[in-house]
Amino acid sequence: MTVNGPGSPNQDPMHPYLGRLVGKKDLGTDIKLFQIEMVESTGKARFADYQPGQFAFVSALGIGEAPFGIASTPSESGVLEFGIAKVGNVTAALHSLEVGEIVGVRGPLGNGFPMDEMKDKSIYVLGGGIGGAPLRPVIRDILDQRSDYGHLTILWAARNPSLLVFTDEYELWRSAPDTELHVTVDEGDEEWRAAGGNEGLITHLLETIAPSPEDAVTITCGPPAMLHFVTLTLNELGFSLDQMWTTLEARMHCGIGKCGRCNMGEKFVCVDGPVFRQDEVSGFLESYL
Amino acid sequence: MKFLSREALQTWLDRLANEATLIAPRLVDGILLYRSVSSARDIVLDYTRPKMSAKEVVLPSSEPILLVEKRGQDVNLSEPPTGEQVVFGLRPCDAHGIAVLDAVFVAQEPVDLNYARRRNATTLVGLSCPQMWEDCFCTSMGGMPNDPSHVDVLLTEVENGYAVTTVTDKGRTLVAELSLQEMEYEPPESVLNEAELVLTQEHWPDRFADQYWDLLAERCLECRMCAYLCPVCRCFDVRDQVVQQGISYSKYDRLRCWDSCTGANYRMVAGGHNPRATKGQRLRNRFFCKFHYFPVEYGLSGCVGCGRCIEACPVNIDIVEVLRDMSRASNAPQTSKVSPNAETGITA
Repeated sequence: MTVNGPGSPNQDPMHPYLGRLVGKKDLGTDIKLFQIEMVESTGKARFADYQPGQFAFVSALGIGEAPFGIASTPSESGVLEFGIAKVGNVTAALHSLEVGEIVGVRGPLGNGFPMDEMKDKSIYVLGGGIGGAPLRPVIRDILDQRSDYGHLTILWAARNPSLLVFTDEYELWRSAPDTELHVTVDEGDEEWRAAGGNEGLITHLLETIAPSPEDAVTITCGPPAMLHFVTLTLNELGFSLDQMWTTLEARMHCGIGKCGRCNMGEKFVCVDGPVFRQDEVSGFLESYL
Repeated sequence: MKFLSREALQTWLDRLANEATLIAPRLVDGILLYRSVSSARDIVLDYTRPKMSAKEVVLPSSEPILLVEKRGQDVNLSEPPTGEQVVFGLRPCDAHGIAVLDAVFVAQEPVDLNYARRRNATTLVGLSCPQMWEDCFCTSMGGMPNDPSHVDVLLTEVENGYAVTTVTDKGRTLVAELSLQEMEYEPPESVLNEAELVLTQEHWPDRFADQYWDLLAERCLECRMCAYLCPVCRCFDVRDQVVQQGISYSKYDRLRCWDSCTGANYRMVAGGHNPRATKGQRLRNRFFCKFHYFPVEYGLSGCVGCGRCIEACPVNIDIVEVLRDMSRASNAPQTSKVSPNAETGITA
């Protein structure tokens, strides 16, 4: 049996690095953007590079840790960003932290989106609610290297207008070359309707846009029901399962394939994913639904 | 083959108990458990199998994996220290269980350092079973009652003492100080139970969506006893515990605690979605994990055949019965229940 180093925390995948909360912004109702700067040089080095779609555990020290998709890209001057909805103990504790306070961050973990395979293709990004957070680095990566990719279409959705995330980046996305943005909510409010916003499910929006499957890929993140029906709709539009990418959510406690929590059949979401191609997902014995 | 007399064993165990943490079968309020002992007197030498497996030795039911200290804005994170320990009287099935845990925590990258540190500081001294006991089926899971494969030293009882088989360098170091005598004869073979199960993997995937699991789960109490007693079940939860909390100084432990996939909320995410919402789905995962996922992922059985879960289950869910049932294609109609995946699995 070999152990890498005499118990050095630098190589311990369960050891969090210290991070300082340098910014906290409202993204939506009970959803905040957390900006974290790593404190120690080891932590800085660990997060010097990561892929869109990878995730990390963020600790509210003394309360616990939970996994979140990284919402930033490494190009953003060493600040890690996470879009976090307040849904449980750990997220509630994180929401109550003040700027300047210390958190723990462990990662980057998981596989990330295979951006190289998507080069030169038309890309459809479909984000639902907080599921938009791990897709933001995908969008950023494409916009940062715009000429490497084909046409970018972003379909952004949420149950209601207050749950749409990164709305302050709409203009940036819209004004980028060869890029379009479509937004819909399941149910709008008066203000939404007055402004002429789309109402209806993301699948309806998808049918309206009716993208061509030719040389195209889709990247979807959202609640399980959305993933399921988006897959069906894309299939009706002529997309094959191997053109569809998704990132799955699962409860997990280690992120390194040990705790057993996130298995879907013989696959672990944490180490085999969280990014999967839809034909893989459909091949799993167990459903994410 | 070497020989160690009963008297010499007692002296050796007393010395081990003084020098390191010695864990051995000991009665705790009438229940036999692998527990730390302070002298050879505490150790039970004539026993079937301890009530709980030896999993606790390398993966305690609850243990700190990170110590957090906060002084004002200064935060210090450190890992708890690990001491040397010797386990004596380990049954070969329990050693087999630790070998399976090694495959998960150490052999598969990334290495879980917390586990590996403790495991490296642990020496395993096995004691052969003279026979297979009621509910034992180790021979069907690749084991033997006198299997030396997964220990550092194996002792097998013979007249007036023990035959000593040293297996690893760690074991050789441990027994180096003993003056072992040459033994002229081989120790007796263990008495085996009835014929091995004839097992086959092939039907497992086909029977995933079978009604069988819901029927089996009708009587499951979700007490999770099977997982807690199992030498292999390793699922854990991680949570933080306050040790001390003040204005200028606080201390927390991050704990790793046993968990079980048969628990109702095991897979539930914070938003409330639960992809394994029924008891049948959860019980199915327990058995698929052992007999389909483990072989696929690690090339190993996730069961060592110790029989504890059979003995402990209050509603007689019998893992051997499940194995027998899964060794044949269903003769029940396939199936009232369709996996939702079948729907998403649209053909391209």
